Amino acid sequence: MRRWKWLGIIVLALLVGVASAKKLSFVLDTTDNRADEAQAIASQLQQIGVDVQVRVWKSGVLLDAIKAGSRQAYTTDWGSAYFDPFDLGVPKLTTGGRGNYSFYGNAQVDEDFQIASTTTSDAPRAAAYKDAQQQIFSDAPWIFGYVLKNIEASSSAVQGWEPAADNSESMVDASVQGGNAIVMGMRTDQIVTFDPAMYRDRDTEAVLRNMFDSLVTHTPSGDVVPQLATSWSKVDDRTFDFTLHGGVTFQNGDPLTADDVVYTFHRILTPGAVNGDTSPRAGLLGPLDHVEKLDATHVRFVYKDPFPESLLLQALVHFQIVPQAYMEKVGVEGFKKAPIGSGPFKFDRGSLDAQIVLTRYDNYWAGPAKVQQVVFRMMPEPSTRVAALLSGEVQIIQAVPPDLVGRLQSAPNVDVKTAEGTRAYQIELNNKVAPFDDVRVRQALNLAVDWGSILDNIYHGYAQRLPTAFLPSGFGYDASLEPYPYDPARAKELLQQAGYDGQ
Amino acid sequence: MRLLKILQRLLAALPVALGVAVLAFLFLRFLPGDPVEIMLGDTQVSKQQIAELRHQLNLDQPIGAQLVHFFGQLSHGQLGTSIVKNEAVASLIGNALPATIELTFATVLVALLIALPVGVLSAIYQGTWLDRAVLSGALLGISMPSFWFGLLLILLFAVEAHLLPTSGRISSTLLVDKRTGFMLIDTLLAGDLRAFGDAVRHLVLPALTLGVVFAAVLARVVRSSMIEALHRQYVTTARAKGVREAAVIVKHALRNALIPAVTVAGLQVGELLGGNMIVETIFAWPGVGRLVVNSIFARDYVVVQGAVMLYAITYVGVNLLVDVIYTFLNPRIVL
Repeated sequence: MRRWKWLGIIVLALLVGVASAKKLSFVLDTTDNRADEAQAIASQLQQIGVDVQVRVWKSGVLLDAIKAGSRQAYTTDWGSAYFDPFDLGVPKLTTGGRGNYSFYGNAQVDEDFQIASTTTSDAPRAAAYKDAQQQIFSDAPWIFGYVLKNIEASSSAVQGWEPAADNSESMVDASVQGGNAIVMGMRTDQIVTFDPAMYRDRDTEAVLRNMFDSLVTHTPSGDVVPQLATSWSKVDDRTFDFTLHGGVTFQNGDPLTADDVVYTFHRILTPGAVNGDTSPRAGLLGPLDHVEKLDATHVRFVYKDPFPESLLLQALVHFQIVPQAYMEKVGVEGFKKAPIGSGPFKFDRGSLDAQIVLTRYDNYWAGPAKVQQVVFRMMPEPSTRVAALLSGEVQIIQAVPPDLVGRLQSAPNVDVKTAEGTRAYQIELNNKVAPFDDVRVRQALNLAVDWGSILDNIYHGYAQRLPTAFLPSGFGYDASLEPYPYDPARAKELLQQAGYDGQ
Repeated sequence: MRLLKILQRLLAALPVALGVAVLAFLFLRFLPGDPVEIMLGDTQVSKQQIAELRHQLNLDQPIGAQLVHFFGQLSHGQLGTSIVKNEAVASLIGNALPATIELTFATVLVALLIALPVGVLSAIYQGTWLDRAVLSGALLGISMPSFWFGLLLILLFAVEAHLLPTSGRISSTLLVDKRTGFMLIDTLLAGDLRAFGDAVRHLVLPALTLGVVFAAVLARVVRSSMIEALHRQYVTTARAKGVREAAVIVKHALRNALIPAVTVAGLQVGELLGGNMIVETIFAWPGVGRLVVNSIFARDYVVVQGAVMLYAITYVGVNLLVDVIYTFLNPRIVL
């Protein structure tokens, strides 16, 4: 009887052994634009004995399945409008965050993000972000990916224009040798509106920022500098005062005053304030309560909760000031047909889905722009944009695909230019369910992908590896943190420890 | 009598359009993906803000209530407001439609100019080298993907030869005020012949891209029905009567051979009026195809519903037109 019992235990142990030394296998979900990359990753993982199947989805459909928690691993990307992890790290990696598709949760990271979103001085914010990066790095909730460079190109005759990390496409200093007009081939098929309160996308913003000014603006590298505001000061953790530039006029001749600034933000913050519709932009400002006028050239921003000054400044770059008197006179519909701003270029004619012609505003407060006319042409197909630049129909094009850069570089009189990207690309893992609820497995995958070869071959080197979810262009980036190295041997070891023998 | 019949057919199209609209409405709601989530993109917004937006857009109501709301609007002659673009669907479609119609007309012109002579000649010279060349050319035309052919034309005629513009409907320097939305008509109304010429030049490449494929299909139909007609007894009779060969071919054979060609052309025109997403994207042509496909990706239900109704009405209309053309080609056919 006793002998039989022992035999039973041995058989059971053997069975458990066979079952535990299993092969890691999972489905990697992706979309068309990253299918090549996903295949490359799959074949690299197969080399260490991980069985990966790539499934290509339509993007909207995949997102629903991811959010339902029914997928294992998926390529995702997330853009940042601030040069701060506030709208990248925070939504993606806070427990229950809006973009937290990996279902990652770490109380210490949550606390770090809380500190960084509510503390008003820079040093503790930077320290909190740094700590969060260390935590996230070792938790490895994703297979950390890369940031793509923003590649644009222009005719060599164009001067004074640079691509910007935030796609602002400022034309105020641009000039073109032997010409008075610049035509830009936009990457989109249409921009959304001429009403600065009613859009969310960067392409619309690129056009609007040439027609309207904001209180502050970015340099191409992302530093905040004065525009309509000459200076600002923090009164307390919730209150910020701005001094406006005197003598600024809108393109219809009206002076720009504190009333216009108050009106602009009132339209955005108040539900239903735009003809019964609510601006989708309020979220960008954080817990802003209201903006009030102190006198003709001073306004005050009052927050409900403490808010970092640097985040407010980053946000204000994206809010174009509209003329109250004109808007009230012509109404929203009238404004959309004949928009008026205080920027260097004034709307002339055109339509949102084809081409928009702007002409120089000669009384621009900072001095008139160099060219007489700027045209934004919607050209959604990259090959068409490249062809139009080569044929001389347009002088600048947005979004050159990495594989077409060579074609442009070999052409005479064309310059390819790049700016830092602000969109993080990665593979998110479902941290809630096996096999990716095991940190060793997640770390192993980070060690098993040879990103160097993928980025070189697929993105022709126009991509930069990221150690975590944070962007190098963002505030508080920890440059001392090295990305996971390519180390298949160590990856195999980790997988074995986690119970996958990889054979 | 004929007018009455046409009117009847048009009225019969209404229930078809409504049925299609209901189907489109339901299918779209079952499609995964949320317009509000897609619209807000990668931003740090609170759940409350998302809920508010959804409420404002009427998306927080049950599907039944949304359907009732949709038909309520429809009974007032309104197609609703785009979720994403915050603009009336009728005006969105109305803006995009002239571009598509203009391109469709140009495409049909190109296709007829190629397909009719080529199809007729290859029928007359059936079995010769000319016929074989036409047949293989037609096969090539049908098999060519339009994105490839379109880009090839751009590289050849715009980049290398500098003969034609790459894309768009008119040069920015010649842009005229919008009145009808038809660039050819608007430039004429503005009395600007240079702009008119420029608009025509912009039409050539997209019309060729679509027209060559259309012509390839059409030429094969014209050829085969022409061969059949040329062997008919009435052709022999006409020839025996001493009718000139040209008249035999055009008046006797071609007219009868055109009926199958008109059928095929009608189907193609119906499709073209729906817009071709690929060609519209390559040539930066702001037409209906792009509008609809982008609206599907953005889950902009309201726009897609409106467009699908338009498609249904267009197909019914084109079919009716085809039937009317039949009666002219062969008076024995009645509506």
